[in-house]
Amino acid sequence: MNRSSNDQHPKQKWEKDVEKTTERFPERKEAFHTSSDIPVDRLYTPEQMDEDYIEEIGFPGQYPYTRGIQPTMYRSRYWTMRQYAGFGSAEETNERFRYLLKQGQTGLSVAFDLPTQIGYDSDDPMADGEVGKVGVAIDSLKDMEQLFDQIPLDQVSTSMTINAPASILLAMYIAVGEKQGVAPEKLTGTIQNDILKEYIARGTYIYPPKPSMRLITDIFGYCQEHLPKFNTISISGYHIREAGSTAVQEVAFTIANGMAYVDAAIEAGLEVDQFAPRLAFFFNAHNQFFEEAAKFRAARRMWAKIMKEHYGAENPKSWKLRFHTQTGGSTLTAQQPDNNIVRVTLQALAAVMGGTQSLHTNSRDEALALPTEDSARIALRTQQIIANESGVADTIDPLAGSYYVESLTDQIEKEANAYLERIKEFGGAVQAVEEGYMQREIHKAAYDAQKRIESKEDIVVGMNEFKLEEEIHADLLRVDEALEQAQIKKTQEVRSSRDQESVDQCLKALREAAKGTENVIPHIVAAVKVYATVGEIANVLREEFGEYTGM
Amino acid sequence: MRMKPIRVLIAKPGLDGHDRGALIIAQALRDHGMEVIYTGLRQSAVQIARAAIQEDVDVVGLSSLSGAHKSLFPKVVQALEEQGASDIPVVGGGVIPAEDIPFLEEKGVNKIFTSGSPTDAIALYIKQLLNKETIEAPKRIAHIGIAVESIDTALPFYQHNLSLELEAVEVVESEQVRVAFLRIGETMFELLEPLSDDSPIQSFLTKKGEGVHHIALEVDDLKKRLDQYKEQGVRLIHEQPKQGAHDSQIAFLHPKAANGVLFELCQHGEEE
Repeated sequence: MNRSSNDQHPKQKWEKDVEKTTERFPERKEAFHTSSDIPVDRLYTPEQMDEDYIEEIGFPGQYPYTRGIQPTMYRSRYWTMRQYAGFGSAEETNERFRYLLKQGQTGLSVAFDLPTQIGYDSDDPMADGEVGKVGVAIDSLKDMEQLFDQIPLDQVSTSMTINAPASILLAMYIAVGEKQGVAPEKLTGTIQNDILKEYIARGTYIYPPKPSMRLITDIFGYCQEHLPKFNTISISGYHIREAGSTAVQEVAFTIANGMAYVDAAIEAGLEVDQFAPRLAFFFNAHNQFFEEAAKFRAARRMWAKIMKEHYGAENPKSWKLRFHTQTGGSTLTAQQPDNNIVRVTLQALAAVMGGTQSLHTNSRDEALALPTEDSARIALRTQQIIANESGVADTIDPLAGSYYVESLTDQIEKEANAYLERIKEFGGAVQAVEEGYMQREIHKAAYDAQKRIESKEDIVVGMNEFKLEEEIHADLLRVDEALEQAQIKKTQEVRSSRDQESVDQCLKALREAAKGTENVIPHIVAAVKVYATVGEIANVLREEFGEYTGM
Repeated sequence: MRMKPIRVLIAKPGLDGHDRGALIIAQALRDHGMEVIYTGLRQSAVQIARAAIQEDVDVVGLSSLSGAHKSLFPKVVQALEEQGASDIPVVGGGVIPAEDIPFLEEKGVNKIFTSGSPTDAIALYIKQLLNKETIEAPKRIAHIGIAVESIDTALPFYQHNLSLELEAVEVVESEQVRVAFLRIGETMFELLEPLSDDSPIQSFLTKKGEGVHHIALEVDDLKKRLDQYKEQGVRLIHEQPKQGAHDSQIAFLHPKAANGVLFELCQHGEEE
């Protein structure tokens, strides 16, 4: 990077940015001190800043963002504490949401049940046994209205873990907002909307890759115009890691997928600087503390370089990798579940050291069932303790300059770039996914990890070492088996009381749009408003797009 | 022994998309020399049963992490039955709370492996299941051993108050004990009195005082059972059968293997 002579020194630029930022978001305290009254500076840097340091590490809020995307980071505001929740019926989940908000949570995150995630209504035979199990069952706008009852959508940001039917749930969110008198442009939140990782790792796909990519770019286009504050995608390494990948693979495959979405949007005629600022990322945090912290720093630097140098994006917002983190579900053990609180603490700390924008901490009982209210509260308290008691948020990127962490950051970037080269040889992430390349790499890593655990080369405390003879699992959250029938009845009542003619018309218009190249989202919004169901809308698209049947 | 490799169908019933576990099990069973067919995601019970029959597998392994196992696993068992393949055993795993296991076993699932089960144990179980080497439940309680300071002092309660019949009194030199046998239904009480300070009964009395000392289970495959327990990592006091009272072969399991209860396995000779 050549800086022209009239450029300010990056340090001066950062100081100016800090001034501007603190006007809008003052720092949490006038001055920060340790327990011994030693002053804590906003940022610590090497005494001599050479070109290398400026180009690779630099200053927070400045390209390539290795030290974070905001000039003051957590000195102004902590990360958003966003616990993923959802189970059973919309009413029950609404209650849990309001409980979490009351406990000091600052954003919502909706878990949907599998039928909703795969576009089946609760009364579809495919939904048998799955209704309300891993999240909340949403069939029609009616359910969505209950889900956000008494939660003003202009005051919370909502993240929705929804992919193949993301457009339908987003449409319902818009409709609920309108009913509350909140205009779409005021809505904030994120839809996951990352279909590629579904083929790779998570499995809740519906349509084949091509029409799925079209749905995604339709959403980009629609939101650019109507929901400018909404994150249109959360490009997710989380599930890739859960499927057994290494940290390097997590970064590499996530960024490769991100590039595929950017390519698709550009091909669909969108301007990179128009949609790229709304792209968000979602990573995992596992136990190897330093590698995890370094992973986030490396990912940020890689994405900035790719957006600026490869895609020629000019808006700095397009360069910034903003991400949510969830602690690693697959690291939790069913044995001695209280030990998981400690794992989660380590992982959460790594995410904070890595500069995450928002964080979900898992509950101790999640290797056994969905979390109970008690467990969910401890998980949230874990974040609150890190934020309020540890002091780690008082200075920016405190691990920077550690020989070990900087070297790990460089090494992860280098190895992830080697993967990106391989994926490029396939012709990009979509092709690599179709040929099963990433799936095979992940499986290999997962199997090796299992072997290491069984041979006790890797120790998992409480599972293959330090075991207890007997274990009793206290209270687990059980989803009421009667819920399925109640939900089916509710949806059938919605069907019999709505204006069927309008539903038919909307679905017909949607079908026509799907056949052609017109943006389908306005038609989906119209359909949900007249109470067409998730399954009905998804089925129209199934008929037009076909279904993906796996490798 | 079987000559053909064991064929296994690994299946993902329902809508759950997490197949890391299923894929790892598939790979591990292949490494154990089995032929493994993986169905892929989102299979209905009927599809799984059909695949099991078409692929002529010896066993079906189900994986579910979505909490739908209570509904889905029994449906697979039922679908196999309906298609005349109830001889194909079904095993399962995933995120399954221990409380659900009895229900699933009652519905015909042979065995549930919960999170953290080593893949070797699963492979071993399948091999044993198909070679009909699975361990059957012990047939009955052979006797309940009660440690007493003195048989003569203890006997009146059992003989007169409980009206039990005294069958015999024997001395077992190897254990330095004197034993009184009292029949009750199809089982017995054994009153155990130490003959010297070296007797294990004496150390029990010193540590804990009089009381229930052990429970003996009647088995008819003692040697094989000990080998299998050993392979499964069950802690044993005796790895080989030894001579017991009444012309029986016996072995003790370590109490740490069984929640603090000392179990004896005993196998009686032909003449009994």
